This record gives sequence, structure tokens and C-alpha cells, in this order.
Amino acid sequence: MIYLLEDTINGILMGSIYGLTALGLTIIFGVLKVINFAHGSLLMVGMYVAFWAATLSGMNPYVALIVVVPIMYAFGYLLQNTLIKPIFKAEKQVREPITVIIVTTGVWYILDNLCLLIFGPQYRALQNNPLRGKMLEIGGMMLSVPKLWGFVAAMITAGAVYWFFQKTRMGRAIRATSLDREAASLMGINQYKVYNMAFGIGTATAGIAGVALIPFFNVYPSVGVLFDMKGYIIVVLGGLGSIWGAMLGGIIIGLIESVCPQFMTATWTEAIVYALFLAVLFIKPSGLFGVKYDW
Amino acid sequence: MTRHQLQILSLVLVGVVSFGLPLVLRSPTYLHILILLYLYAYLTSSWNLVGGFAGVLPLGHAAFVGIGAYTSTILSLQYGLSPWIGMIVGGILAVLVGILIGLPTFKMRGAYFALATIAFGEGIRVMVENIDYIGPLKLNGPRGLEIPPLKTGLTHFMFAGKEPYYYIILVMLILVITITYLISQSKLGYYLNAGGEEPEAAMALGVNVVRCKLIALAMSSFLTALAGTFWAQFTLFIHPKSVISLDMSFEIAFIALIGGRGSIAGPVLGALLLRPVSDFSRIYFGDKLPGLHLIIFGVVLILVMLYQPRGLQEPLTRAYNRLLDRLTGARAEQALGRSRA
Repeated sequence: MIYLLEDTINGILMGSIYGLTALGLTIIFGVLKVINFAHGSLLMVGMYVAFWAATLSGMNPYVALIVVVPIMYAFGYLLQNTLIKPIFKAEKQVREPITVIIVTTGVWYILDNLCLLIFGPQYRALQNNPLRGKMLEIGGMMLSVPKLWGFVAAMITAGAVYWFFQKTRMGRAIRATSLDREAASLMGINQYKVYNMAFGIGTATAGIAGVALIPFFNVYPSVGVLFDMKGYIIVVLGGLGSIWGAMLGGIIIGLIESVCPQFMTATWTEAIVYALFLAVLFIKPSGLFGVKYDW
Repeated sequence: MTRHQLQILSLVLVGVVSFGLPLVLRSPTYLHILILLYLYAYLTSSWNLVGGFAGVLPLGHAAFVGIGAYTSTILSLQYGLSPWIGMIVGGILAVLVGILIGLPTFKMRGAYFALATIAFGEGIRVMVENIDYIGPLKLNGPRGLEIPPLKTGLTHFMFAGKEPYYYIILVMLILVITITYLISQSKLGYYLNAGGEEPEAAMALGVNVVRCKLIALAMSSFLTALAGTFWAQFTLFIHPKSVISLDMSFEIAFIALIGGRGSIAGPVLGALLLRPVSDFSRIYFGDKLPGLHLIIFGVVLILVMLYQPRGLQEPLTRAYNRLLDRLTGARAEQALGRSRA
């Protein structure tokens, strides 16, 4: 019984980190109404930035956040500004331009393989890692310390993003644009700047997820693909565009992955995740917290 | 010569060159590259029926390739059936699966449809990787199936040289291009076009958009599954990661998108332009610059989407037409001049 509880808690911890990796995806969809297929690659870039920042300067991996977040924000902002903005300008009347899916896939190919060229295919683990393999023992249960910190980071990030969107003036402008871009433009909101910012924030959260992951996860050029597929499933499960939906979706996936192997072959959990995803798409495409208008 | 005659002449020329190529080209390596090029041209043309004409973005077509490959291989390994029969059975099975997946998904919007098809393709791969036996049928999980090259000949769909494979895939490619042409000229093609661009308007005019898309998907999945059988017989070894991979699904879709979705020449053109790039960069730079062809792929994809969203076939078709105009126009002027004199 204690094992089951241990698995449940570990599932929630890992799941919240999955939710954090998917947070950017849901933010970008919520505002731009497009699925960013390059999100996994952005996460990979975030992991590499965090890895090198921590390795080269020798600082604590979590302190690397002060470097990672601005870099990733700028990277996302520029990416949207140079590559995706022209499509929105060309296809003004289309609400969900499919072309963006294709262009972001191109970005995915380029980023993954550029990193393969530059850093090589080897798996890299953080060397000066104060948290490596650290466990916390509570009542006979072993909990991974870096995952615990990841959980804290995920909750703080989701809360901060939620607060920003709900309470600040800029956040309201972003939400207004996501509801109706023409009306928002008429109110004097610069639509493209809002898109740039939303993309930047989404990329920055991918950077935070990268920081949360590197203390216990290896970095390699195609690591993004692993989280990519999970990210799509999580955001559809939670409802595309919903911040807390992404966290909950992540926790559900984390629970399936950690609890189900107690009852069946571990490789079948992946099949369960896909089946669940298809079931949600067919039964309730708007997900747990999604708006019906968005599908 | 009139314009029509010139067009027929160029078609005949292309036909003669493609049928005569193996007589001149003796290198098995180049023949192999050409076979894969035709295979991808075939796959993208089949994808184009639903991805191009129906205006949706399916990203799970490798699942149909896998269904075709596994069906014919299992039937021939375990029951001694000719792969040609397995090919048809696999095609029919793919149609059933395609309709099953199409019924709920065609109601969804762009992004959701793409995600659903990805999940479907990946789901099938994970299933095959985890199943060793379905009843009496041996799938052999992630280890895949090997086809022992015992009996060669046309009935066994197995040959010692590469030339027969070349001609088979060439005939298949011509077949799918003909089907695409016929559909684009038919009522179904117009319905699909209307439903892809303006589904609401098409429905208001009484077009059953979902039914048309389902027919397109059924045809597309049937044809795609045939290529799976070809792939299995050509490589003689299939496993989930080779025939049901996400990479393959994406490559099929993106070759068509770069070439120009919704056109007849686009997918073939895309394969013609991109396959050699990926093959040769793998041959010459594979050891020093891994992944170079995918970087090229990504850059081309982005550039085409930004500057030529209807694909590369558009400027090339325009150039071809201008060439025809020049040739016929020049002759017409000549004829005019002669009659005046």
C-alpha cells in the first residue's frame, strides 16, 4: 500500500513537471490559436542553455534561471517576430492558420539537428550537480528532491503566469487579443506585439521547465520529441489554452505513467496514454477546462 | 506543332526516360535511390488525395504503410499467400481503419485533426511494439518480421535484382497519378476542393463534406497501404520503427507541402527535389554532419511556406507554360509570316 502511495506522489511530482513543459504550448495556443510544433525543441534549447549556464559558470542549476529566462524570452519573441508574424499578416482572415503548424515543424527540424551538429548526439548529465540522486525519506517513502523542486517550480510558474494574465494590464490586453483580435486591435492593442510577447512567455516557461529538468534528466538533441508528444496530449486533455488544465493534464499523465506499471507491463502505459488522448478528442475535444469555442 | 501536341510529346519523353533509365543506369545504389524516390512520390501522391484535396493535415499516414506491410508479410509468412493478395487485403484493412479514424476526426478543426492523426499513428506503433501475437497471427513486437528470400519471381513479389522493383513502383506511381488526375477532374474533386476551402459554404450548397472527405481518406489509405507491401517486399525486413514511424508520416506530408499540396505535379516534384537532397547529403556528409539533410529540409519548408505557400509547383508550372507558349507562339508567328509572304 505504501508503494502505491509512493508511486502516486512521485507521479504527481513528475506530472507537474510534464505540465510545466506543456505550459508554453497552452499559452501559445490560447493566444495565437496555433499549435507550436517546435515547442519540444524550444524545451530542448532551454535545457541546453540551462546545462551550459550551470556547467560553465559552476553555479547551482536553479540559479541558472536568471540567465535562462531572459534568453528564452528573447529567443521566442524573435522567433515569432521573424517567422510566424509574416504568416499571420498574409492570412489575416484565417482564424487558425495551418501554415504555422508547418513552419514551426520546420523550426523543430532545424533546431534539433543544429544542436545535433553543434553538441553531438551524446547524452549529457550535469556534472557539478548538488542534487544528483538526492532522496527525501518521509514515512518510509523515497521522494526525489529535484522532482520536488520541479513541482514547486511548476506551481509557482503556473501561478505567476495566471496572475499575469488575470491581473496585469498587459495580461488583460493579451487575453482580449485571444478572444477577438479585430476588436482588440480597435481598442488600440498592437496585435503582433501581443503575439510576440505571448510566444516569448511560452518559450520562457519552456526554459523554466528545462531548468527544472536538468538536475535529474539527461540533455540530448532529440529530447524535445519525448516531451512534445506528451505536451500535445496534456494540453488537449486539460483543454487547449487553459493554464491549470495543463497542470492537471500533466499530473494525470504522470499518474498513469507511475501507477499503471504496478498492474501491467510498463511499455503498455504509453498505449494507455494514447488511447486516453484519442478518447478525450472524440468525447470531449475541449478537454477538462477548455472553452468549447476553441475546437 | 500545337500546344497540345507539345504537352503530349513532353509526357511521352518523360515516360520513355523513366522506363529506359534502368537500361542505362547500371549502379544498384542509384537504382535504390530512384526506387525510394518513386516510393515517396507514390506515398505523397496518395497522401495528397486527402491532405491536398480535402484541405486537412493528416500526420499519421505511416500507420497505413504499417498496416499494408504487416498484413501482406504476415499472410505470406504464415499462410503462404502471395504478397499480391496480401497487398489487396492490407489495402482493404487500411480502408476500414481509415474510415474508423475519419468518422470522428473530420468534424474537428485543423490543429485538432493534425494532433488526432499523430496520436493515431503513434498509438498504432506503440500497439504493434507491445503485441507479439494477435490470436494466431505473429506480429513479433518490437523485433519486427523478417522475410526470408527463398523463392523469387513475380508471384512471390521477390526479385534478385533491383530492376523489377523499379518497374513495379513506377507502374504504381503512374497509376496513382492517373487516379489523382481523374479525381481532380471529377465531381468529387470539385466537392473536395470546395469543402477544403470553405466547408460552411460547401455544406450550404448541399455538398456532404464529411462524406467526400471520407471517400478521399478511404482511397488514400488504400493506396498508402499498397506502398507498405512494396516496402516490405523491397527491404525484406519490417519493424514498427521502420514502417510506422512518425518521421515517415511527417516526411510524406512535408514533401507534398513543399511540392504543392492539392496539385497533381506537386507531390512528385517535391519527392524529385527533396529525396536526392536527403540521400546525397546522407551519403556524403552523413558521418561528419549528421542531420544536415533535415536542416535543409526545415529551411526549405519554412522558405516555401513563407514565400510560395502553394508549393514549388506553382512557379515551375508557370515557367513550363511560358516555355510552351514561346515554342508554339514562335511557330505560329513563323506560320503567319510564311502565309503573308
